[in-house]
Amino acid sequence: MEGGEGRRAGGEGSGRLSALQEQLVWSLLGSGLSKELLIQAMGDLERERGSAGGERTDRADGESSEEGEMDNPPPIFHDLERLPPEEAARQRAEVDQLLQQDPWHVAKIVKSYMQQHNLPQREVVESTGLNQSHLSQHLNKGTPMKNQKRAALYSWYIKKQTEISQQFTNASRGVMSGEESGEDVRKGRRNRFKWGPASQQILFQAYERQKNPSKEEREGLVEECNRAECLQRGVSPSQLAGLGSNLVTEVRVYNWFANRRKEEAFRHKLALDVPYSSQSASSTGQTLSSSPSPGLKYSQSVLCESLGTMRSSSGEDRGGGGRLASPVQLEPSHTLLDAHHLKPVSCGGSLPPVSTLTSLHGLSGSSAAPPGLIMASLPSVMSLGDSSLLIGLTSSQPQTVNMGGGFTTLQPISFQQQLQASPQQPIAQQLQSHIGPSSFMATMAQFPCHMYSKADLSSYPSSSLLSQAMVIADSNSIGTLTNLTAVRQILTSDPEGHTDTPIEEESLHLQSTSPEPVSSGSLELYPQTQTSETHPSHLLSSSPGDIDPYIPTQMVSTAQ
Amino acid sequence: MEEREHILPMIRNAQWVEVVGRDAIYKEFLFKDFNQAFGFMSRVALQAEKMDHHPEWFNVYNKVQITLSTHECGGISQRDITLATFIDQASVY
Repeated sequence: MEGGEGRRAGGEGSGRLSALQEQLVWSLLGSGLSKELLIQAMGDLERERGSAGGERTDRADGESSEEGEMDNPPPIFHDLERLPPEEAARQRAEVDQLLQQDPWHVAKIVKSYMQQHNLPQREVVESTGLNQSHLSQHLNKGTPMKNQKRAALYSWYIKKQTEISQQFTNASRGVMSGEESGEDVRKGRRNRFKWGPASQQILFQAYERQKNPSKEEREGLVEECNRAECLQRGVSPSQLAGLGSNLVTEVRVYNWFANRRKEEAFRHKLALDVPYSSQSASSTGQTLSSSPSPGLKYSQSVLCESLGTMRSSSGEDRGGGGRLASPVQLEPSHTLLDAHHLKPVSCGGSLPPVSTLTSLHGLSGSSAAPPGLIMASLPSVMSLGDSSLLIGLTSSQPQTVNMGGGFTTLQPISFQQQLQASPQQPIAQQLQSHIGPSSFMATMAQFPCHMYSKADLSSYPSSSLLSQAMVIADSNSIGTLTNLTAVRQILTSDPEGHTDTPIEEESLHLQSTSPEPVSSGSLELYPQTQTSETHPSHLLSSSPGDIDPYIPTQMVSTAQ
Repeated sequence: MEEREHILPMIRNAQWVEVVGRDAIYKEFLFKDFNQAFGFMSRVALQAEKMDHHPEWFNVYNKVQITLSTHECGGISQRDITLATFIDQASVY
């Protein structure tokens, strides 16, 4: 266009204004704007725009280290609200002051600030360009950090402080929207929500009261948690906006409860598998029976896995962890023992009461008549040396044996003695004599425990014996029991010397189908149909598989 | 929305012409240069926003051609007249 003349023509006039600018200013003035208002507005606008540009230059100089790696230009610079001259200078002064102080001292300050406001390290890393590992080590352990990097860190800290105080004060003014959109531009997404310790405490307490709160209750919890979080940050409880991405909402509370419920169910499931794993755990280093049934090995490995996961899951689970560690393991056995003193006696007299089971740990090789008790208790798997009757007592296992208050009785099966090598023969025989298939089965029917026994016991202990080993569990725990109540007897010693009626396979299969006749030598204890779970053998086989999907990776999480 | 016959003559006197084939008024302004023209347009624009009534206009360098009409009633309305008056005032600013 024909701009040249225009430019020249417009070039005269007021000092530094171009003709058009002048025109525009006049237009503005003519549009009803008072001069003062115009000047004020101009000042504000200038600050905004100027700060963006001014800060860019600031950053380029003083904080280039901060963003230098990311970008010298200002991609991260969004602090349009800052007054370039005053604010920037003030902040730089504060940073310098921090740099003078002891780095570790300042690190503690920064770290505690981050904890107080539940800020993720990721945010710091993104906006400072520091290495996340280095940052973590510096803040937590005092690993030295060079001054330039510390300056970047402190700058972020100062900036964040002003940001947060702005958030808190501007909340009512709706400035938040500006902040948020700025933030989005900054990182493309908000910080991931994180539960603060104060909120979690409130939630766990509520969880104890009721696992499934209604919407109203959830909303009440939302209020409570937000109040607590604000207090933690030293702010009035009504300044919710300052919480930013860590604001507790009803959806988040809902998800939290859903996740806890899933976790608990998972722990229950794992607890069932504990005996298996404990068995193998305790038997490491012990001769785990030269010839355990394959199933036994399998289940052992299964338990190992489940145990491992149990441990890890219980380790992670803060609130629930305590619950997991219930000392059920030995107690039920004790009760059982007490209750069934007689049985062993009746059987064979030489069978000591189950209470001695605990001493079974040291049984291996002992020639004394250790109670040939198979603790159909969840926790115990003991391995008796060569005889390899494994009944593990895993007191260390964090298992919830008492699922919902479950066991009523755990009765040990006092097979034991016979299984042990020679010394146990008489007992074995006695035991054998007692077994009647029907009775056995009958007992077994009630015995939701998986027992693995490798056969010494041809005709397995009589029903009387078995009844001792009955595990009577609540129906709701049956399901768990099917996994948990695996008392395995690994009889390694050869049966020949012991039994008249050789038991080919003393393995107690976890099957819900009807057992083979005992006389054939196989003891099969079936976790009865009471089991809510499916086929017990399936449990074994599938437990590893089960565990994985069961792992609360399916936890609900909010979309950010 | 109502046409005021007694007002139109005034406008006509101010050099606004009625567009053929359409119920609208038109005027052309010439300025010394682009800056003045655009300054004028800025003033008009501010006023138009205030009134929420906008002109149809064309600008090339120092010339501004403006057509005023009201869309809702498909013809000239009081708002057009008011804006026309203002435009005249702005053009001599």
